[in-house]
Amino acid sequence: MSAPSGMIDPAIFEGLQSKVDEDTTVRDELKDIVQALEKQNRNISFVLSRAHSTPFADLPNVLKASEEPIQNAIETVSKLAQAASKQPYYKFNQMWSRQVQDALQGILFWAWLGGKDYDGNEPKCGCLLTLEELGETLKVPTNLKDQDKFHITIEEYLLALTSMVEELTRLARNAVTLGDYERPLLINQFVKDVFAGFQILNLKNDILRRKSDGLKYRVKDVEDVVYDLSLRNLVPKKQQ
Amino acid sequence: MMGPKRSRDGEMKEEKLGRADQAASPFMPMFEGFRTELDQHHDRRERIIKASRDITAASKKIIFTLQRVRTLGQPVPPFVVKGNAQYWETIENQYQNIAADVQGLNAFRYPQITGGNQEFMEALSFHHYLETQTLISYDESKERVAKMSGEAGPVLLTPEDYILGIFDMVGELMRFSITAMATNGKLPAGKPKKESQVKQEGKEQESADKMDVDEQTPATTRTEEPRTVLSDLRALRLQLEMFEPGGGKFGADVRKKADVMRECVDKVEKALYGLTVRGTERPKGWVPEVREERRPEVESY
Repeated sequence: MSAPSGMIDPAIFEGLQSKVDEDTTVRDELKDIVQALEKQNRNISFVLSRAHSTPFADLPNVLKASEEPIQNAIETVSKLAQAASKQPYYKFNQMWSRQVQDALQGILFWAWLGGKDYDGNEPKCGCLLTLEELGETLKVPTNLKDQDKFHITIEEYLLALTSMVEELTRLARNAVTLGDYERPLLINQFVKDVFAGFQILNLKNDILRRKSDGLKYRVKDVEDVVYDLSLRNLVPKKQQ
Repeated sequence: MMGPKRSRDGEMKEEKLGRADQAASPFMPMFEGFRTELDQHHDRRERIIKASRDITAASKKIIFTLQRVRTLGQPVPPFVVKGNAQYWETIENQYQNIAADVQGLNAFRYPQITGGNQEFMEALSFHHYLETQTLISYDESKERVAKMSGEAGPVLLTPEDYILGIFDMVGELMRFSITAMATNGKLPAGKPKKESQVKQEGKEQESADKMDVDEQTPATTRTEEPRTVLSDLRALRLQLEMFEPGGGKFGADVRKKADVMRECVDKVEKALYGLTVRGTERPKGWVPEVREERRPEVESY
C-alpha cells in the first residue's frame, strides 16, 4: 500500500513468487529421493568394497550380498525418474546427477565382477555394461533426445566409468595381495580398452575432461602391477 | 599430451601389427557414437556462450545510449532510437542463432545463456521504464524474447533471469537520477496525469519543483502529483525486498544483488538530500559525490 500505484503491477511479483515457490516445492520432493539414493549408494559400495579383500573363489558371496542394496537403488532411481519426469529434465538434473553417477558406478563395478545375470557358477569378470544395458538394469531410459524426460546421459555414464576404472586399479593391486595373478591382467586389458575409447573423445575443459585425463595414471598404475608380476615370472602362462 | 588424433593413428598401426593384446578396443564403436554426440553438444554450448556474450555486449551499449535520455514517460528521442537500432538487431540475430539449440529437452541444458538474458532484461526494462515509467512485466519480457527468437521456437527467459535483470536495472535508474540531478538540478519525474495537464498546464514546472523537495508531499489539489524516479525506486525496492528467492545459486545471487540495489536507492536519497539542503548554493554543473560503483558481476550459472 505504501508503494505509489502505477510503477509496478503487483501481479508481476506475485506471479514470480509463486513460480519460484513451485520450484522450491519440486526441489524439496526431489531432495528426499536423492538423499535416499545417496544412502543406498553407500550401501552398495560398502558391500562391493569387500571384493577387494575377497579371494576370487568367495566372490559369489559378495555378489549375493550386493543384490539387495542394488535392488534398492534401482527402485529409488525409478522413483526419481517418475518425479523428475514431471519437470524439464535439465532444469533440475544437477540435483541428482552426482548420485546417479555413483549408482551407475556401483552397478558397473558389480557387473564387471560378474554380478549381472549371475548364475551361481564361477562369476565371469570383465564385462562392461553399455549405456543401454545400464538403462535396462535401472529400468530407466538412456540418452534421450526427443523427449524431455528423465534419463541417463552419456556424460553420467562416462563419469561413472572413470570412477569404476579407479576402483579396478585398486582391485588390481589387491588381487595380487590375495595371490590372484590373473585378474590384474584382465584389468590391465580392460582399463586400456576403456582408455583407448576415451582418447577419441574431443573433450572440453570440464569435469569429464579432468576425470578422463586422470585415466592415463590409472593405466600406468595397472601396468606397473603387471610389470611387477612379469618381472617375477608370476604371470600365469596361458595368458601370454 | 595425447591428442585424439595420435591415438587414432596409433590404433591403426596396432591393428596392422595384429598383436592380440593391442588390438583395437572392443569399446571403440560405442565411444565413436559418444564422440559424435558430445561434439554436437559442445558445438551447441559454444554457440550459446558466444550468443550470450554478444547479447550482453549489445545490451550494455543500448543501456549506455539510454543513459543520455533526459526525459521520462515519453518515447525516447530519435537519436536513441537510431543509435540503438543496430544493437537491438544484433540481439535479435543472436537469439535466432541459438533458438534451435534450446528447444525441447535442451531448453534448460545451457544455463550459459543466463548472462545474456539478464543483461538484455536490464536494457529492455530500462528502455521500457524511460518510455512508460512502469516496470515491464515478466510475461511481456518473456514474450519479447520469444518473438525475437524466430521460427525455431522461443529462447526461454526464466523468472530468475528476469528478477536478476531487474535488480541490475535499479543501478541504471540510480545513474539516470544522479545524472539528471547533476545536470538539471532536479529529480526526473513523469508528466502529470492528463487531467492535471489540462487544468494546470502552466503549473507543471512548479509542481515538479515541489516534488524535488519531498515527493511524498500529500497532494493538496485534486490532481495527481507525477511520480519521481525516486518514488519508483522505492516501490521497486519494496517489491524486491519482499521477494523470497529460496535457496541455491539463485538465492545467493539475489542476496548479493539486493545489497547493491539498496545502496543504489540510498545513493539517490542521499543525492536528493544534498540537493534539498544546499540546492541553491550548488554551482551549476556540480556533480553530487556519488562514486559510480558498478555492481559486482554475478557470474552466470
